[in-house]
This record gives sequence, structure tokens and C-alpha cells, in this order.
Amino acid sequence: MKAILFVFPFVLAVAYFPISQCQNLPLIEQTCKQTPYYGLCVTSLKSDPRSKTAGDVQAIALIMVDIIKAKAGGSLQHIEKLKQKYPALRVPLSACKDRFNAIIIGDVPQAVEALTKGDPKFAVDAANDAALEADSCERGFSGKSPITQMNKLNHDISIITASVVKMML
Amino acid sequence: MADSNVSYNPLPDGERPRPTRRRSIVLVLSGLLVVGFLVALLSDNGSIAPTNVIDNDNNNVNDNAQNGLNDVSSSSKDPERLRPFTSASSAGVSEKSNRRFGARTASYPWTNNMLSWQRTAFHFQPQKNWMNDPNGPVFYKGWYHLFYQYNPNGAIWGDIVWGHAVSKDLIHWYHLPLAMVADQWYDIMGVWTGSATILPDGKLMMLYTGSTNESVQVQNLAYPADPSDPLLIKWVKYPGNPVLVPPPGIGAKDFRDPTTAWLTSEGKWRIAIGSRINRTGITFVYDTKDFINYELLRGVLHGVPNTGMWECVDFYPVSTTGEHGLDTSHNGPGVKHVVKASMDDDRHDYYAIGTYHEKNVTWVPDNPEIDVGIGIRYDYGLFYASKTFYDQNKKRRVLWGWIGESDSEIADVKKGWASLQGIPRTVALDTKTGSNLLQWPVEEVDSLRLTSKEFKKIELKPGSVMPLDVGSATQLDIVAEFELDKAALEKTAESNVEFSCSSSEGSAERGALGPFGLLVLADDSLSEQTPVYFYIAKGKDGSLKTYFCTDQSRSSEANDVNKSKYGSFVPVLEGEKFSMRVLVDHSIVEGFAQGGRTTITSRVYPTKAIYGAARVFLFNNATGASVTSSLKAWQMNSAFIRPYPDDDDERHSGTEPTYEVRGSKTKYLGNLLTSSLLFLNARNNFL
Repeated sequence: MKAILFVFPFVLAVAYFPISQCQNLPLIEQTCKQTPYYGLCVTSLKSDPRSKTAGDVQAIALIMVDIIKAKAGGSLQHIEKLKQKYPALRVPLSACKDRFNAIIIGDVPQAVEALTKGDPKFAVDAANDAALEADSCERGFSGKSPITQMNKLNHDISIITASVVKMML
Repeated sequence: MADSNVSYNPLPDGERPRPTRRRSIVLVLSGLLVVGFLVALLSDNGSIAPTNVIDNDNNNVNDNAQNGLNDVSSSSKDPERLRPFTSASSAGVSEKSNRRFGARTASYPWTNNMLSWQRTAFHFQPQKNWMNDPNGPVFYKGWYHLFYQYNPNGAIWGDIVWGHAVSKDLIHWYHLPLAMVADQWYDIMGVWTGSATILPDGKLMMLYTGSTNESVQVQNLAYPADPSDPLLIKWVKYPGNPVLVPPPGIGAKDFRDPTTAWLTSEGKWRIAIGSRINRTGITFVYDTKDFINYELLRGVLHGVPNTGMWECVDFYPVSTTGEHGLDTSHNGPGVKHVVKASMDDDRHDYYAIGTYHEKNVTWVPDNPEIDVGIGIRYDYGLFYASKTFYDQNKKRRVLWGWIGESDSEIADVKKGWASLQGIPRTVALDTKTGSNLLQWPVEEVDSLRLTSKEFKKIELKPGSVMPLDVGSATQLDIVAEFELDKAALEKTAESNVEFSCSSSEGSAERGALGPFGLLVLADDSLSEQTPVYFYIAKGKDGSLKTYFCTDQSRSSEANDVNKSKYGSFVPVLEGEKFSMRVLVDHSIVEGFAQGGRTTITSRVYPTKAIYGAARVFLFNNATGASVTSSLKAWQMNSAFIRPYPDDDDERHSGTEPTYEVRGSKTKYLGNLLTSSLLFLNARNNFL
């Protein structure tokens, strides 16, 4: 009996403390709850090891911007492959290539600079624009898009990023 | 490790182990407790409904994506009022589909033709790249100076330095070299916004915010390297910078945009700097004798809860008796003070009128219900980071505002530039209402007027559209008046639905007494059009309330541009006609209602209604009233904004370089030639 009372708090401490720190869950959950796509927000962040040690919303935002960049890059590669596979969709696919390029050379650098140099509203703009570019890419197919899921993913993570940065304003 | 989290499995022979009863209960309880803890920690909380903080306020320029994807649900309206706009071209096209992004069109391919048309003819913009806040506007030794946040490396925000231009008349600008770059540890991350103060002895002091190598916001002092150079080309940064760092308890990134200084009765200089404490926007006040050493005054000049960070604070006196401007240091009877701030949260500029108490360093708004951040905006469209200066040359206060883009960034990158400055405006107290300011384009704008066409007392029956033959319609100054017959105003039924430009169906929403106004940057078939209009609503008590709106929902067939509606209530006094002035300059449309009581700036990006294909129409989409309109429309000349000549002699003399308007062999033709060629090219497309 006494042994259990003695051991119990130790077990709690061991069980509670290190696990929660490893996951950094309170910050991730608290942040993601305030975005429109909670589940996607949490899984995206958790998939990036840096999220475990992110100390504040700004750090979370920077991770999200990196995810935008990675997804846009991956999308570009996918688009190249699709151009071969669907020559009839060459025109809208090229337009999409331009859009994702704009995200990588424009929106992402602007967002990173705004966050690191201390004027986050420009990162909100950039993230919102990234969502717009993904959306515009999708519309180019007039309903017959081979990349709807991909575009939605790009759009949604951009919206998540914008709402995360808005928390800093 | 204790075994308290073990779960019970039946033994292979089906029997359960039997420890003593008390021990087993405690063991089970503690085990369940710990298991419970672990489950709570490790499991995904799954579908907790997230709070959607995406701002559905369509007035936010940067919610481009949201406009298309989160359909703003309109309040329930009488279906009678949703009759489609009466016009041949839009028959069959429901306004609902236009509210969303391009529901009926594919992704828009921007051509160079369309993009190059967007550059303005008489609004300030650098030759290329990104611009944002106006900085340090001042009149000095015969020249108006404008500095501005500039990115020398691209058409997006970044690498910010100070651009510089000069003018004799606030309209014809000459580009000069960059005034300040990010070359010190205290501004290496950004040479941000600041203001100029001219001392009584003529010295010019420039205070500006630097973002340091650690991204801390500090205030720095700079001054002309050669005060006798009227062009103020070279600048020196005070070696002892920074002169101000964030006060204790204030965030390192919540301290920026120092104002012009004003003299106190003790002979000290006083400045204001915006900041915030949690969600309360505030402005600090400092006293200084030398612009180097500062004393933070106790408390704050003013603050308003739940407004967030206050950027670009401005503080200035206005005369309650006259329309002339007042020097920033002016105080005394017949004076009220304006506090203005740019709200970082919602990207709008708000002002409030009140009383300044110099001794206890406070400012009290006349009406706390329309306080800074929650009341009146300078402009109900795109207009941010604005700043005034006292023009001692013409004894007026002039307002500059940054007008961003509302297209997609890919277009900005393609066209190689982004942002404009709004047309400079005079600001003064509206002595008729006493509770708002009046803004009006500076009188020098009138010097751009070329030929005009006048139209007198045109009657527009309900549901009518009338083309106006004004010639070319991409550079226009239109002054228009409207009257409704009294009977119609009186007999209209009251409504208890509160009207709002942004949540309405735009110019397609037909009410008894509106909308009516102008369609600018429209093409012949009206497939593209930008309505600037009045909408009169009759309230519950029978009183009439007038709204002034700009509707972008059909401004362009492209689907990656902002399509929201802007606008607000505008006071119309007894005996006044409904009046508006509209400046059209390619991709910018600025509307001023009732002499400037309410203003709206929009950026529009038509794909068809460009060059020779742009038209202007009068329209009345009201159901219950005819409207009579008289108006005058002028063609507007270009301001030929270009670099100051390289010629050393001309530059040293500081006199205005000569330039020819037509057929010159000088290098200043640039814009004129290009736009002429493009115009001819476009005309060929239409012939």
C-alpha cells in the first residue's frame, strides 16, 4: 500500500513530463485550434521534427512556411510528370507551373523575411497569396483537374499559415 | 517501471488472478489513473471544432483567397431585390456567381498588354519593384519631397530601403537615388517608416524606425548631409543611433513609426510612437530638446482596447473655423487634434477627432464610440500606412497613403512592380458636421485636366444605363451630381435591414432609392465594369441614410483579383445634392463623396476594358426613383514621372528640369512612347 503511494507520483512524473515535452503538444494544439484546418495543421507540424522544439507561434509559423515551400516544390515536380502524361492539359499545367513558381520565388521569401525581420503582416499577405495561386491553378482546368487534391492541400496549408501568422499581429 | 498500467488479460484457463481485495482496488485505481493520463496525453484530440479566425471582412485586401473560398453568406434579403442588373450584356449572369472567384471562367492568363496597361499615368510610383509606406513627406527649399518604403530587388516586400522623389507641385515627380539603405547594425534588417520635422531655424530632422541585426525595432535619427542642397540627395545617420529603444515591458517588435515632432509650450519637441500592450493599441509620447536624448512621458497619449498594434501613428491639429491647414506645432483656441493610426490587424487607417491636453499629455476623443481603430476610416478601400505633413508653402495639410495591389503576386512579379501612392489629398475638418474630416485631391491635380465634356440634367429612369461619350476613358477626372425627386424619397417604404456596401450584392442589388452612379473602366458590353455609386436606404424612423460604394465584383473577368465591394455611410446634409468626384488612372479608381466626407480607393485590373476599349456610363439601378445627373469629365494628362536628369549642372542648380509634352527628342519620352505604341497596338486589336 505504502509502496504504491510512494511510487504513484513518480510514475505520473515519468509518464507525464517527458512525453508532453517530446511532442510540444500544448503549443501545437493551442495554435492549430485557432486555424480552420485543425487536423491538417497538427499532422503537418508533427511531421516536422522542428515542431518538437518550437518555442512560440513565430517558430510554428516559420515551420509552416517551410511546409508551403516543400509542398509547392513537390507540386512542381508532379506537374512536370503530368505534362508528359496528359499532353492535352499542357496549357493549364504550364499556368500551374507559373503559379507554384511564384509561391516559391515570391510568397515564401516574403513570408520568411517578414517573420524574421519583424513585420508579420507581410507574411499573412504572402500566405494568403499562396492559397490564391493554388486555387487559381485548380480553376485553370475548368473542372477537369488531375491535381485537385494536391491543389487543395497547398491551399489549405497556406490558409493555416496565414491564420497562424495572424495570431502574431 | 511499475506495472500499474498493465491491462487485465484472462489467464489461458479463464481464471482471474486473485490478490487481496484492498490491494487490488488501489492497484486498479492507480493503474486506471495513470492510463487515463497517458491516453489524454497521447491521443489526438481529433475533431474539436476549430475557431475560424479567418476574417471574412471583405475589405481586407489580402483576403483574396478567402473571398473565393469562404463564401460570405449574405443576410436574408427580399428576393425581389435580387433582380439582375438591367443591361443587355449581363442578362442571364447571376450576381452570385460573380461574387465568388471566377466560377464561370478558367484561370486567367495575363498578357503583357493587359499588365502594362495597369501602370498609372499621374499617380506616384517608382519605375519598377515594390513600394509601401510613404515616408518623411516634407516641403523643403522649394521642393516637395516624398520618401517611401522600397524594395530595390523585386516586386514583393523585402530588403526595405528608402526611395526618394521630388516635385514642385506634388504631381510631377522626379526620381532621385535611394536616400537611405540598410547599412548599419541598427537598420540592417530594414530601414522602415519615419517622419520629418523642420525646426524654426530651417534644420531638417528625420526620425525613422530601424530593424536591428536582432530584429529589434529602434528609432534612429538622420539628417541631410548638405542642408543647402534643395534636392536633399545625400543623408547622414546620426553616429550615436539608435536614439530610442523599446521601453521596458514593450515587445521588441511593437515599437515603430515615429511621428513628426511638435513644439510644446515649454519649448521641447514632442513625438508619438505607436505600440501595444496585449491587445490594446497605444501611442507613447516622448519629449526631446535635441532629437537625441528623449524622455518617455508617463502613461500614453491614448489607447483603445482590442485594436491591436498601432502602426504609422499620426497626430496633428485642425482648425475648427477655417479650411486652411495648421502647422503641426500649432495649438490654441479654434483647434482640435486628430489622432490617426494604422491597424496592423485589419489593415485599415482610422482617425478620430478630439482634444489635446498638453500639460497632462493626454488626448480625449470627442466621441469615444468612434474612437481610433473603431470609428471612421480615412478611406473605405485600399489605403494604408498613411501620413500627413504640413505644407508651409500653401498653408495646407496634405495626406499621403500607400495603395497596395489587390491582384495576385504572380501578376506583380510578371509586370515587375507593385503598389502606388494615392493621389495626395488636403485634409481639413468638415466644419458643417464637425465630426469628420474632409479629404480632397490637391488642387494641382486640376492642372492635369485637358479637354472636357459636360452633361447637364440627364434623366435616368429606374433600371437605366447611359453611355457617356468622353473620349478615352482610362485617365479621367469626373465630377458628378445627382438628384432624386422629393416625392420618391418620401414615399419609399421604410426598411429595417441595415445596409452595408461590403455585404450587399453590389451595384446589382436594387433598392428603391439606389444604387445609382457611374460605371468606370467598363467595356461596351459591360462584361467588365467598376460601379462607383450611391445607395440610399430608408431607416426604421423614416430617416434617409446614404452609402457610397465601389463594386469590384465585375471589374475584371480574371478570377485572381479581389472582387469585394468597398464603401461606407456618407453624411448628406439638408439641401445637399449627392455629389462625387472620381479619378480614374488605369488600375486605380478613387472616389470622393460629398466633398470628401467619405472616400474609396480601389485597384482594378480589367482584361478587356483597357486602352481604347474603356468606357464610362451613368446608371440608375434603383427601382423606385428616377435620378437626374449633371457631370463634367476631363481627360487627364500624364504627369510624366521620371528620373531627375543626370546632368550635373541641372542637378546642382536645383531648378526644375525642363520637359516637353509632345514630340520631344529628349529621353523623357519613355512612358509616353510606350503607352502610345501600346494604345495603337490595342486599337489594332479592336479594329
